Amino acid sequence: MATDRRAEVTWRGDLMSGNGTIDRVSSGVFGGLTVSWPARAEEPDGSTSPEELIAAAHATCFSMALSHGLAQDGHVPEQLRTSATVTFQPGEGITRIALAVEGKVPGLDDDGFAHAADQAKANCPVSKALAGVPEISLDARLVG
Amino acid sequence: MPRVQRQATASWTGNVARGEGSIAPASGTFEPVPYTLASRIGKPDGKTSPEELLASAHAGCYAMSLAGELAGAGTPAELVAVTATVTLDEVEGGSHRIVSSDLRARARVQGIDEEALARAADAADEGCPFSALIKASGTVTVNAELEGSDGD
Repeated sequence: MATDRRAEVTWRGDLMSGNGTIDRVSSGVFGGLTVSWPARAEEPDGSTSPEELIAAAHATCFSMALSHGLAQDGHVPEQLRTSATVTFQPGEGITRIALAVEGKVPGLDDDGFAHAADQAKANCPVSKALAGVPEISLDARLVG
Repeated sequence: MPRVQRQATASWTGNVARGEGSIAPASGTFEPVPYTLASRIGKPDGKTSPEELLASAHAGCYAMSLAGELAGAGTPAELVAVTATVTLDEVEGGSHRIVSSDLRARARVQGIDEEALARAADAADEGCPFSALIKASGTVTVNAELEGSDGD
């Protein structure tokens, strides 16, 4: 079954001096978020940006895929903590995404965790949608 | 221009079917928000999902791109409103894939016709790096109309 998710954005003015808002999303979980070119290409200064939202999309998708893979192998994770860092080169696009995950997974060794993390990175739908990014790196480690 | 980095951190507890997570952006622009599998593939129920975050990113990127194209053509927009709808679907083999992102834009611009807007809308799609990326996995469709025109 197909699932749709929707987001609505309003922009006022030109690119460099104008600004916009992410007005609402399907879930209603956030809204009224300001976006601007300076906040996207320089310092965030409390504003989100498309690249930050992509980081959020990738970190959530990867975490779900990893929990699924681990549980299928009999190792339900106690906790996974994933950060995604998206590097944006204005004029060029997204040049790199660095995924880093720390997992508390009872009964699993480092190799098993690294393998499951590799699989999640390769197979989560957002990874597939971002397959054109030149470099997606992964740092996976177990923590006590 | 210098490289720009943006980060978000997700946590997850438990298996995929019954577990749950939360996601927080480094900018602090919104508080950590929950996500679950049930709310990803069923009703959102007040929780976000990777596809909703992708839709937000794509709508934001495209709105900036279209504003840039219109200004570059000498007809800056007073206002551009963009809705992005991202669709996740099950594909052959039972895996899930992001199959499409549908962009709908409405623009309030003085002194341009539908044809000029359509050109800017296509150029904005080509110029938005996310459109190019998503096309590796699915389709991107663009529909743009002038505010006050017939379809409005």
